[in-house]
Amino acid sequence: MSYLELSGLQKRYRDSVAVDDVSLSVEQGEAVALLGPSGCGKTTTLRMLAGLVDPDRGAIRLDGAEITRLPAHKRNMGYVFQSYALFPHLSVARNVGFGLEERGVGKPEIARQVEEALALVRLAGLDQRRPRELSGGQQQRVALARSLVIRPSVLLLDESLSNLDAKLRDTMRHEIRSIQRSLGITTLFVTHDQVEALTMCDRIAVMDRGRIAQIGSAEDIYERPATRFVASFVGRSNVLPATRDAEGRAVLWGETLPVAVPASGEFDLFVRPQRMRILPVSEPVSPGMARVHGRVLRSVFVGDHVEVLIEGVGGQLTVEMQSGSAAPAEGTEVAVAWPLSDTLPFAREAA
Amino acid sequence: MTGSTRLNLLVLPAVLFLLAVYVWPTLGLFRNAFNEVGPTGAMVEAWSLKTGAEVFADGFTFELTLNSLWLSLTSTLIALVLSYPVSLFLFRTNSRFRGLLAVIAIMPMLISGVVRVFGWLAILGDRGLVNTLAQSLGLISTPMRLVFNWTGVTIGLAESIMPYMILALLAGFGQLDRTLEEASRSLGATPFRTFLRVTLPLSLPALALAAGLGFVLSMSAYITPKLLGGGRVFVLATEIFEQATTNTNWPVAAMLAIYTLGLLLLLLAISNIAARRLQR
Ligand SMILES: Nc1ncnc2c1ncn2[C@@H]1O[C@H](COP(=O)(O)OP(=O)(O)OP(=O)(O)O)[C@@H](O)[C@H]1O
Ligand SMILES: [Mg+2]
Repeated sequence: MSYLELSGLQKRYRDSVAVDDVSLSVEQGEAVALLGPSGCGKTTTLRMLAGLVDPDRGAIRLDGAEITRLPAHKRNMGYVFQSYALFPHLSVARNVGFGLEERGVGKPEIARQVEEALALVRLAGLDQRRPRELSGGQQQRVALARSLVIRPSVLLLDESLSNLDAKLRDTMRHEIRSIQRSLGITTLFVTHDQVEALTMCDRIAVMDRGRIAQIGSAEDIYERPATRFVASFVGRSNVLPATRDAEGRAVLWGETLPVAVPASGEFDLFVRPQRMRILPVSEPVSPGMARVHGRVLRSVFVGDHVEVLIEGVGGQLTVEMQSGSAAPAEGTEVAVAWPLSDTLPFAREAA
Repeated sequence: MTGSTRLNLLVLPAVLFLLAVYVWPTLGLFRNAFNEVGPTGAMVEAWSLKTGAEVFADGFTFELTLNSLWLSLTSTLIALVLSYPVSLFLFRTNSRFRGLLAVIAIMPMLISGVVRVFGWLAILGDRGLVNTLAQSLGLISTPMRLVFNWTGVTIGLAESIMPYMILALLAGFGQLDRTLEEASRSLGATPFRTFLRVTLPLSLPALALAAGLGFVLSMSAYITPKLLGGGRVFVLATEIFEQATTNTNWPVAAMLAIYTLGLLLLLLAISNIAARRLQR
């Protein structure tokens, strides 16, 4: 049995289901991201873990003990709120020492641990400031230190980086990740930012409307999305409407592609733009490749790559080319090829 | 015409109005305080400190001051203790009846002070609700004296200032935030410890504001001490009224009024400073 187990968690509100059915196992020392669009139930899941919301159904087990109904103050979870929730009437030092004071730790010991925690988040020397005398990034680190200093059984981070500017966010990600690793703290990290999920966590749980759609490594999620939702939410994809021929193979833009497709109903093929290559029309492709024809509509230089928009008989698609390689001129007839294994068919959802 | 002069013109009617109905009479009051009372009992124009000297040499003025302060202090504290949980609840509840509950809480404000006093008489009087109930339960044999004394005035006053204090508390709860209490819980503080360490400290500015308001309202209350006191409760406000109407001694009434005003301004300043300290 895993260190932290959520099974069949559900939380309903008067007019909505915030969390429908969430089951998740987290190993000790592991960092798991909860990734999903706004309103999918990420915060509610964390709040149930912290004991701030009572689940309607399901169970939470920590280190073998059932804690589903344990009050928040007995759970020893370090919750870093999105808004930081620093106590405005207390100094930085007393904010960080808050949890230790509640645990009856002696004054000199508190002072020592607070100093250590502040050094860990690189805030040494700011201990006598009030929270509002700190920048957003500093406040965030105080919140982190405050949760770390109690040696939480699980660290819960709720979009804790979303208020920071891009650069600071990047720095903080690395800092949090290295602290998390070096202290071996089991962590649940809520975010709707994929890059954050991909860079900060060992595994990612993608949530969709109160359920976990898929859970796995960053690579699993990105390369082998389990559902149409995951495929469209994580990374970018060309969504190409296709049809089925008499033998049940996919037909795209007039070309037959030997990929397994849903037995019935309408479906689309999902292909990542950076897996596609542009070839001269005459160039043959190896058997494992898919190939369609089209005309270059335009190319857009986006810094580290070039996006080429191509129009064919069945619609448009985007190819991502390394910048440096010469993009074909507008109006050129080209072939687009990609590995068949990177072609993911998903049934179209009833709208 | 610049934008600010235009604004100045806009506030002109209000300024004129205040001058006419507030500043002018107050100046008149100030003027009267330095007049004298002639041998016939009529007011004589003068610029003298005789009235002032009389008023402040009189031990009764001192007694009235203590009475007013004590009454205001006790009713403010009682009202504060009762208003705080109510406001806290109103501030936090997600109930769809929140608006309605808030209106109910401040409803007494809409009722005339006189009517309210009669309400209290019906409840606290010798044959009122409380005494009848206590007697029929055999708790007491003779009725308790709950009105026409300090007890009645304190109860009535506390009740009459509560709606204002609830509003002041709600307005002052700015810093109070559910998330902070949740943070405290998640850091291991019990609900009670969370109240002591987070909720209460963050309520202090609101409590100071409400207490200041309640105190000022109590100090200047007339109807409740007069009617519920049954002529046994003497405070500054009742004495001013007495001097002005029964005795028609305008200089003394004016001097007492100015004295009370000064006292109130002083208390307001103190409570303001305290609130700002707490806010930091
Ligand atoms: N206290 C509440 N009362 C009623 N509905 C709620 C409450 N809390 C959350 N919900 C609803 O539950 C759903 C999930 O909310 P939740 O806060 O868990 O979303 P989230 O995944 O954290 O979204 P975001 O990324 O925007 O923070 C939302 O539709 C929300 O409106
Ligand atoms: Mg959220």
